[in-house]
Amino acid sequence: MEKKLGLPSAIATGVGLIVATSCLMSLGQGAGALGTGFIITMVLACAINILTALSMAELNALMPNLTGGLAQYTLAGIGPFVTILTMVGGYLVCQAIAGSVECAMFGNAINSVFDTGIPSSTLSIILLVVLIIANLMGVDIFAKIQNVVAYGLILSLIAMGIIGMFGLGTGEQVSQPANLAGSFTDTFGLLGLAFFLFLGCEFVIPISKSVKNERRNVPLGMVLSLVIILIMQIFVVLGMSRYTDWTALSESASPHILYGTSLLGKFGSYWMILVSVFAVISTVNSAMSSFSFMCAGLSKIGLLPAFFLKRNKRGAYYVGVLSIGLLEIVVNATGLSTSDSLTFMISVAIVFWMVSYIVSNINVLVFRHRLPKAPRTFKVPFGPVIPVIAIIGNMFMIWNIDSDPGTRNLIFMIDGFIFMILAVYSAVWCKMRLKKPMFKPIPMHEVMAMENEVYLIAHQQDREK
Amino acid sequence: MEMSKIEVITSMNKVASLKTALGKLGVTGITVMQAYGCGIQKGTFEYEPKLREEMELLPKQYIMVVLENSMIDKVVDVIKKELYTGHIGDGKIFITPMSNVIRVRTGEEGLDALK
Repeated sequence: MEKKLGLPSAIATGVGLIVATSCLMSLGQGAGALGTGFIITMVLACAINILTALSMAELNALMPNLTGGLAQYTLAGIGPFVTILTMVGGYLVCQAIAGSVECAMFGNAINSVFDTGIPSSTLSIILLVVLIIANLMGVDIFAKIQNVVAYGLILSLIAMGIIGMFGLGTGEQVSQPANLAGSFTDTFGLLGLAFFLFLGCEFVIPISKSVKNERRNVPLGMVLSLVIILIMQIFVVLGMSRYTDWTALSESASPHILYGTSLLGKFGSYWMILVSVFAVISTVNSAMSSFSFMCAGLSKIGLLPAFFLKRNKRGAYYVGVLSIGLLEIVVNATGLSTSDSLTFMISVAIVFWMVSYIVSNINVLVFRHRLPKAPRTFKVPFGPVIPVIAIIGNMFMIWNIDSDPGTRNLIFMIDGFIFMILAVYSAVWCKMRLKKPMFKPIPMHEVMAMENEVYLIAHQQDREK
Repeated sequence: MEMSKIEVITSMNKVASLKTALGKLGVTGITVMQAYGCGIQKGTFEYEPKLREEMELLPKQYIMVVLENSMIDKVVDVIKKELYTGHIGDGKIFITPMSNVIRVRTGEEGLDALK
């Protein structure tokens, strides 16, 4: 019989999936700008994410065991146009950008400790090429160590946070004001950046079928994962306030290495580089692999071209691997290395993610209206209140994506432009390929049926007749 | 009447979990039979693009429990949640009033026969 995961394993998986090295970039930037005031921003962002996590748990209860996740909920909830626009296009674009940033952290981290003389972006590109080849060859060594290195990173951050918080570091303590936030406007201004720290609780959903007492443990696991991450980040910010100069922190492209060095000297920097480099490699590797699987899954339900389903001799979905790999190489080749450029890229990407979270909350309300009596093993309490607050919260975070109005407008322009291209693709795809009305939801049982491996073959054979 | 009969027709792999869940609720008896049948889809598999013209009878499980009316809502709620997958073929629940139950060994009748 298959061994089921308990609550601690569900939490561990959740925490491992949410924390990435690029989160440390946002943490350093946020703490550098607001000092300990950034803790309020993190608490707010975490709270909004918890509300969205609850909505996702309800969607999972209504449409369990789906591999495409958010896209399939939206297909059944709002129809193909919005699904392609936000969940397929937006989500994949966001994954590509976030992956590129994560990869850029690799080059920055190496160069911040060792004087290699090689540009950071070149190091990142070398890593990407190696990972593309590994994925195409079906080498899964990095995937196997994914959890171990993720936990290594988390435990290291907790340990370093506590050492810093209680002033136990060997480095010199700095004398600086703890809080730099003067008003709520300052605090809200970095909500977008703080949101990035808590992204990805939806990745817990695919493991839900192997979780014991799924009804209780999946939502609880998602919420507790977010809370644990919040506590961990608070420890680190408090530690930073004692040991790291705020200005240096906000300017650093590898804030975690800087903090490690200020806290424990050379030992701290080696500790952080060891943990974070492995974390970057395994995260980028698994993101590349899951991107190709996600594209294949979306092709299976007819939302992306069928060539994403092509496999090479080793069983890898090579079109997906090559697409994401080359895209990330292009992004890194533009010289993505300064803290400003990384933060800007993160902000551009997370707007898509926030939109997909808004749509997920809308899906909950749509299904409540359309299928009020469908059995839900988990239902978000207080009627529509929580999804509505989550929608408003996410919109508020989008509006506060950057404290500088000029940068904010530029982010909105770039995102708007990408959304326009996706809208055209979505409209054309609905009309020409899917041949379905753009805003008519596909019945839930049909979306569920699309999960069946025989579905595509049976429907293709039917079309050919 | 104080009692009702709940009949459930569902897919083959749901009985074990349903039996456990009903046991936890204090349901005192359950009868399971293997059955063949189809619903409005005429036995069409969910991945098939077109509805079958002729009915195809698929293997199913038939589960029957009799219980006092005060338990109905709770039991039905548990059955719905246990059987739910969102896929075609999750099943149907039929509830009918029961006029009497007799325990043959003791001759007890009504609710006494269920205890």
